[in-house]
Order: sequence, then C-alpha cells, then structure tokens
Amino acid sequence: MSALLSVQGLRARYGAVEALREVSLEVRAGEIVTLIGANGAGKSTTLMCLSRVKSIAAGEITFEGRSLNEVPAHRVVGLGLAQVPEGRRIFPRLTVFENLEMGAYLRRDRDGVAKDRAHVYDLFPVLRERSRQAGGTLSGGEQQMLAIGRALMSRPRLLMMDEPSMGIAPILVARIFDAVKRLKNEGMTILLVEQNARAALRLADRGYVIETGRIVLSDRAPALLENPRVQEAYLGE
Amino acid sequence: MKSPRRVRWVEWALLAAALAIPPINWFWMRMDPAGAHDFVGPLRQVLIYAVLALGLNIVTGFTGLLHLGMAAFMAVGAYAYGILTCEIYPFQLSFWPALGASALIGTVAGLLLGAPTMALRGDYLAIVTLGFGEIVQDVLKNLDDITQGTQGINPLPGPVVPGYAFNSQNAMPWYYLYLGILVLVVVGCRNLEWSRPGRAWLAIRVDELAARCMGIPVVRQKMLAFAAGAALAAIAGAMMASMLTSTGEPANYDFQVSILALCIVIVGGMGSITGVLVGAVAMIGFANVLLPMLAGQLQARGLVSQANVFGNPNNWKYLIFGLVLVLMMRFRPQGLLPRAGAARAAGKSP
Repeated sequence: MSALLSVQGLRARYGAVEALREVSLEVRAGEIVTLIGANGAGKSTTLMCLSRVKSIAAGEITFEGRSLNEVPAHRVVGLGLAQVPEGRRIFPRLTVFENLEMGAYLRRDRDGVAKDRAHVYDLFPVLRERSRQAGGTLSGGEQQMLAIGRALMSRPRLLMMDEPSMGIAPILVARIFDAVKRLKNEGMTILLVEQNARAALRLADRGYVIETGRIVLSDRAPALLENPRVQEAYLGE
Repeated sequence: MKSPRRVRWVEWALLAAALAIPPINWFWMRMDPAGAHDFVGPLRQVLIYAVLALGLNIVTGFTGLLHLGMAAFMAVGAYAYGILTCEIYPFQLSFWPALGASALIGTVAGLLLGAPTMALRGDYLAIVTLGFGEIVQDVLKNLDDITQGTQGINPLPGPVVPGYAFNSQNAMPWYYLYLGILVLVVVGCRNLEWSRPGRAWLAIRVDELAARCMGIPVVRQKMLAFAAGAALAAIAGAMMASMLTSTGEPANYDFQVSILALCIVIVGGMGSITGVLVGAVAMIGFANVLLPMLAGQLQARGLVSQANVFGNPNNWKYLIFGLVLVLMMRFRPQGLLPRAGAARAAGKSP
C-alpha cells in the first residue's frame, strides 16, 4: 500500500536551536501510527511542521502524492490534514456546538456538516448533552473530546493528535483512546503523538521513537512494546 | 450566539431617544428662545464618533488587534471627501458618490498599511499604527499643494437629498441623515459579527494557533478586519468634513482622536456593538454636548463669569475622563455593556 503521508529528512530549527535533525516517517491509509519520545524530543514540532504552522529548514513532506512544502498553513486543512493541537486549545467562550462549527469553517455543505456533527456526538455522547454549554466549562477530558471532535468536523483523511492524554483523568483517557480505535475501525488514518508510550503502542499499528530531533527506531507497535531499549527508556521496566 | 434580550432592548431605547431628541430640543427653543441651548448640532458628533468607534470595534473588539491610528483613516476619508467635492479641484462630485469613494479610498489605505504589518503581533502592530497616524498628519500638513496645508480644504458641500437643500443653519436634517447612516453601519456590523469573516476574527482573537488549525487564513482575515475598520473610519471622516464644510486642519486628526475612539470601545465593551453605541453616547455626549451646554447655561444665568477658569465645566473634561477611566478599569473592566458570552467566560450564568 502506498503512503498517505510521507516525510523525508525533515529538519526544523527555532533560531539557532535545531529542533528536528532527521525525521523520516510514513503513514499509510487506515493505520494508526504513533510517534513517541521524551519531553522536548521534537514530537510536537514534527506535527507543527506537518500542518505547516512551523516553517521547515529542509526535507520533503508529501501528502496523497502532493508536496506540502510550499503549502500555507490555512490550505493544509482543506487538503484533508487536521490537527488536534497540544493542550486542546478549544474556544472557551463559545459553546460546544459553536466550537464544532468553527472546526467546519472551510466547509459549505450544510448537510454534510450536520451529519459529521451527529457522528461526533455519537462518538462522544457527553458533547451532545453539553452542546449549549461554554467550552471552557467542560472538564479537561471533555475539552479533549471537543478538540478531537472539532478537528473531525473538517472531515480529514489524516487526523494528527498531539498528546491527547496530557493532564486528563485516566478513565477519560481510556474513553478517548476507545474513540480513537473506533475512528480507525471506521477507516480514519491517525498519527498520534504521545508521551504515554505504553497506551499509545497498545493502540497503534506501528510506532516511531524520536530522540533529540531524530527518529531512532521504527517498528510494528507490538514489537516496540517488546523492545528492551523502548522498555527501559519509555515503559519504565 | 444571539445577543441577549437586554442588549436588544437597549438598542431600541437608544434609537427611540435619538429620534425623539430633535423635536424636544425644537420645542425647548420655541418656549425659551433666550435661554435654550441647541444640542442637536453637537449631537451629530456623537453619531460620527459612533461610526468611527464601530470601525475600531471590528479591528480591536472583534479581531483583537490593538489599533492606535484610527484618526489617520478618518483623515484619509475627510481629505478624500474634500478633494473629491471642493470646487478648487477638478472632480466636484456630490455628497453620496464622494462618501462612497472616501470609503473605498479608506479601504485601500487600510490594505496598504495592513499588507506589510499584518504579520506583526500585539504591541508591534500598535506601534506601527501609532506611527502611521503621525505620518499621515505630517503628510497632510506638508503636501500643501494638494491639501492646502494647515488651512484645510474648504468650502465643502453638504449632503444632497432630493427635494431638500441642506444648510448649516439647520442641524436637524443632518442629524437625521447621519442617524440613518449610523443605523445602516450598525446593521452592517451586526451581520458581519456572525458571518464567516466574523467567526474567523473571533477565532483569531481568542487563539491564533487554534484558528490556523481550523484552516482559517489568519493574515488575510486580519487584513479584511483592518480594511473594514479603515472604511468605517473614512466614512466618519467624510461625514465630519461635510458637517464642518471643511476638512479642518490636519491636527484635528491627531492621536487624541484615536485614543478617544479606543476609550469609547473600552468603556462601552470590547466587541459589543451596543456597548460601543452606549460608549459613544456617554463619552462624546458628555464632552461635546453636556459640558458645553452646562457651561452655556451657567454663563447665561450669570452664575459663573467667563473669566473664571475653574468655573468653566469644559476645562474639567479631561480630569473627569481620566477619573472615569480609572474607576471603570477598577470596577467594570469588561465595559458598560460587554459582549454576549463575556459573562459566560467569567463563569457566571448567562
């Protein structure tokens, strides 16, 4: 199967600091790929580069056979690449409903939007219950659900998630990961960035390990779970 | 998100009061020709400043860009109106085409300033707009071959309406015409607020990164807000020039005017259209209508002599302004009539 997203030799810097030295990875249609690594290893920077919010110094990003290198950030969403940013970043003053509408900003097909909204409510029933409530009044886990739902409203073909488990009660993390699994079963392709390596690898098909801006390991997820180096560094065994 | 009933009620009350004031003033002048004070003329300034502040509200209130140079775009509008209508220039348009052209020229000026600066954020943009305001004044002052320097361009024609000739002796028709323009501007702003650009502006104001993640073209939408604000400022400038039959000197469009517009928006409530209207009535109504009226009445009744500096209420203006602003920021920072949803965010029930 050909890759939906392919990244070759990606490099990025913040001023004089090299954040990404050598990132190459591939995401094929229908799979969950996880990118794990420690704080500051370059996980979020990688996603920011992919969604073109951050400028890249070198490398090649290809999505559905088309180069994203020269594509501005606001066009990326329209091409089918949506990002759930780190720290959720929902609009706290807007209601849940309005947050979801914002996610569909680029779309003009009202019926399709309504259908996708119903799907999001189906995935996270608590959002339907709270649809008229301000986003800022939701709990952290519910806000994460809203952020995922908002990203889904652009009807992406690749969903990128940045640390969806960060700062969230374990029971809600389980519910969010269940929803991710369900999305995959429905055919969604997902690139998941996580610090919680064990949970991410249990969920994913394949995984990449990033250390100081470099991909150092890649394998099938079950194999990474068994890998002694991964166990020692990320699974605390 | 719909505006709460309370806000709509305030808006209708304002409109009713605005419609009723001229007949009341006329009646007063008939009853007491010696002691009465014509406040319909000065009230036109409230309407003009309301248009200006509604323009700033799009930039600062909706989109969250601090703009300290609105007066410059007002000057652009006033001088465009002057050059397009005054008999010493070849164009000699009448009121309505000149008003439309002024708005268009203001839009272009907004885009010209916006294009190189929209990548700037926060304080940097504020400083650029501040600098632009100063530059425009200097250009108007020194380009006297075209702008007549410190004399300003005059005389300028008033509005034209079929079947009626405007003259500067009778302020009432101007007042109603300007009120009509303001109502149109308010309706336009209302529609903009929840249009696609309006939602993009809101997203940019709250969280620019999240807005990018939604696929919102951030720079283009900021430019659009900037241009829309500039267009309304230019309309306000053209209204002012037509009312005064002169552009006035360039110093009439100084930093103080920009700050006054900002104060109207802050006192009224950032991003709240009704709030901005209330702010304009409170600030300009107080400074340009109430204080002069009070001064006139005190002098007419011989209570205070003209020589008494402290006895002239006009001289207390900025002291009272400053005091009110300090008290507002301490006790009601969200403004008199905050935007719907502001209470929600503060965790209060809507």
